[in-house]
Amino acid sequence: MSAGYRPVGWNRSKLVYDAGIVAAVVVYIIVYLQLAPAFQGVTLPVDDAVARMQAFGTCAFLMLTVALSIGPLARLDRRFLPLLYNRRHLGVATAVVAAIHASHVLGWYYAFSPTDPYVALLSANTSYAQLLGFPFEALGIAALLILAVLAATSHDFWLAFLTPPVWKAIHFGIYAAYVLVIAHIGLGALQGDDGPLMGIVAALSVAAVAGLHLAAAAMGRRTIDTEAPPAATAGWVEVAGADALAPGRAITVRFADGTAAAVFRDGERLAAVSNVCAHQNGPLGEGRIVDGCVTCPWHGYQYRLTDGRAPPPFTERIATYELRRYCGRVLIDPRPNPPGTPTAGIAVMAADGGDVAAPAHGEAPA
Amino acid sequence: MTVAATLVTLAQVWGVVGLAVAAVFLLWGIDRIDPAAHGAIAFRPLLVPGIVLLWPLVLWRWRVLSRAPETAGRFDRPAPARVHRRIWTVLAVVLPAILIVAAAIHQEGPRDTAAVRIAPPPGEAAAGAPP
Repeated sequence: MSAGYRPVGWNRSKLVYDAGIVAAVVVYIIVYLQLAPAFQGVTLPVDDAVARMQAFGTCAFLMLTVALSIGPLARLDRRFLPLLYNRRHLGVATAVVAAIHASHVLGWYYAFSPTDPYVALLSANTSYAQLLGFPFEALGIAALLILAVLAATSHDFWLAFLTPPVWKAIHFGIYAAYVLVIAHIGLGALQGDDGPLMGIVAALSVAAVAGLHLAAAAMGRRTIDTEAPPAATAGWVEVAGADALAPGRAITVRFADGTAAAVFRDGERLAAVSNVCAHQNGPLGEGRIVDGCVTCPWHGYQYRLTDGRAPPPFTERIATYELRRYCGRVLIDPRPNPPGTPTAGIAVMAADGGDVAAPAHGEAPA
Repeated sequence: MTVAATLVTLAQVWGVVGLAVAAVFLLWGIDRIDPAAHGAIAFRPLLVPGIVLLWPLVLWRWRVLSRAPETAGRFDRPAPARVHRRIWTVLAVVLPAILIVAAAIHQEGPRDTAAVRIAPPPGEAAAGAPP
């Protein structure tokens, strides 16, 4: 945030969200401790310490599954966007629950020896050359370290300090953490004699997370490919369907160089800004106009459509793009203006070919 | 010193250096590179874990920003949609493969098999058996 950092940007919605996370974790742990023994095919009930370790471990795994599913779910169905709004707090909570799981492991399996627990954890099993009996604890440690880094760098300061692309690259580590957790479970818990339930849960998690991400990647919703530019406007590309946009909505245009612009309709005018939010690179084209500003669907960051600047006191800026109309078609210049550059946009054209509102600027192609 | 003990010692050294970097950065450096941190004190303790974990990266960014403050244009990068698609195309194969391998190497326990009493070879007394 450009207007001065706060420890946590809580508002009513985020407080409700966080209360929901805490309540869900508490209920899950209580229910697990009561019900799990009935599903375990062991001859004697597990010790309380082991049961707590399993409860927090499975809870962290399910939280990670949910955290990874929210992104693609929100792309597939906008009704899930509120879950995305505060996903960072879910991620931090996941790291905390995973750390509690690890503390139970240290406090039970490695606590009753003169050897330092951390040294014992790393040295008790070093059979890294075999799959059966592989020291799966190391996989869990690596996953926990990644989750810790992600949680520790979740404050907005880190976005500005590292830059969003670097921050985003670091937070891609969530995928590595998930792979490590699946391997941790596969070579650890699934090798035990506790029945098939955990294996079924892990398989469902993988199917859900991978399936949702692939489905979201395949969905080209509201995204169009650019067409060859008319000769009279060399370098410009057509934005098909822009005139049919609902007020306040956008269509995303991807250029050949991989960059993207979002063409918004605000009232009876069209204007284009970068599709990339300055906060976390959120897809602005999937957002809408709220209070006269383009609003990011991820965290609600806002920018004026007329110049790509966040309203005061915020100072974020994004690039704007020039639009023109040529033979009734909407064209966009793929070369972005510097962030914060004012742009006039063009008028929406009605179905009969006339402008819905009289243009305020000359819009004939150069 | 064992490998495990060495790793633990290195982690402790890493943490101590990170704490020192955090102290200097949060008390002195952050105000010089980030205007949004001016007068904002309460959020700084939240940065300590991240600095301890990533202090070499913090030192590098601190140095870069001290020499040449960046402009707002640094934010304007394309969203990595293609990267997501490629990653999940690979993981959609890797993740099930991990679970399949885990199921393949799983050894069934003996609980469904009748116990067999092991007898010593003929002519030898069982260890611990009464004379």
